[in-house]
Amino acid sequence: MRQTIRWTIILAALGVLLGGCATKTTNIDINNDKGEAVMGLDYRDFQAAAQDMVESLLASGAVTKKDGGRYVLAVSRVLNDTMQHIDTDQLVKKIRVGLLQSGKVIVTTAVGAEGAEDKMSMQTRKELRGNEEFKQESVATKGTMIAPDLSLSGKILQRNIRVDSSTQRVEYYFQMTLTEIKTGLAYWEDERIIGKQGSNKSVAW
Amino acid sequence: MRLVGLIMLTLFAFMGCSKLPEPNDAIVKVIGDCGSSDIVVSDIKGRKRADGFMQAQVVGENSSGSYQNLEYRVVWLDSEGFAIDTVLSNWNSVPAYPNQPFYINATSPNTKAKTFRLYIKRDKEVICDKQYDGQ
Repeated sequence: MRQTIRWTIILAALGVLLGGCATKTTNIDINNDKGEAVMGLDYRDFQAAAQDMVESLLASGAVTKKDGGRYVLAVSRVLNDTMQHIDTDQLVKKIRVGLLQSGKVIVTTAVGAEGAEDKMSMQTRKELRGNEEFKQESVATKGTMIAPDLSLSGKILQRNIRVDSSTQRVEYYFQMTLTEIKTGLAYWEDERIIGKQGSNKSVAW
Repeated sequence: MRLVGLIMLTLFAFMGCSKLPEPNDAIVKVIGDCGSSDIVVSDIKGRKRADGFMQAQVVGENSSGSYQNLEYRVVWLDSEGFAIDTVLSNWNSVPAYPNQPFYINATSPNTKAKTFRLYIKRDKEVICDKQYDGQ
């Protein structure tokens, strides 16, 4: 009997001890994230890169139209050449928001490197035009879409460098180009580098 | 003997907390509990570009004798003093080399910006807070 009580106490104490060690789930305050850096790319890296890119674009004057109007921008391909599974929209979306907020650029979702971003914009026109179920005055007529003036493309690169037996460096390159579609000339280009150093055991993908 | 040591230690601790006179060219309010900052903002200016965007330039000095990676944040305000919602108001980094001036250049998120407010932090603590109130 005494043996059973002793074991019960030991197991209960162990349970409490291990329970106390479990990592508690908390929300990250993304406005004041004091968390340690990670070897892979996290939202802070995308936020910093996008902010730098938008600021560089606005400072360059490349998106300022002479007549005071807005440029129409199409988002081309942003290649992920890293070992990580990245949705490049994490970068592109922030840049788009920043450019839209500038009042100098408007983005088209009807044209993109891999077809229309918003498939509905094209599909509805084709499917609804001539469809008797719909009031034809409410259907977009031909020749109303606006063609893009500018195209935004880019690449995210990764280089892994072994420092010594226990340390590695990982370099990430964010490269962006703004091309005028009419002439094919690159109006603006920039690159941002984010470098990280850590344990060889950390996996950067 | 132990008591004398304790008194000396307390005195040193208080001396460290005494506020040193700020340089004449300091135009920022230094926020800190203990002593004056070795990061001083000596010049802050803004201008409206021909395309309507506002440009800010801040010149600071790192008198610490060691390299510091500072973080800064610019909050842009419109003509009525409202903060402009933008992706450009996140913390950004600027290198401050020992005994050298450092420069922060920023461009407003749109043409509605009239003034800006600048915050500088080191080791995740805000050390400088300054508002530029027009040309």
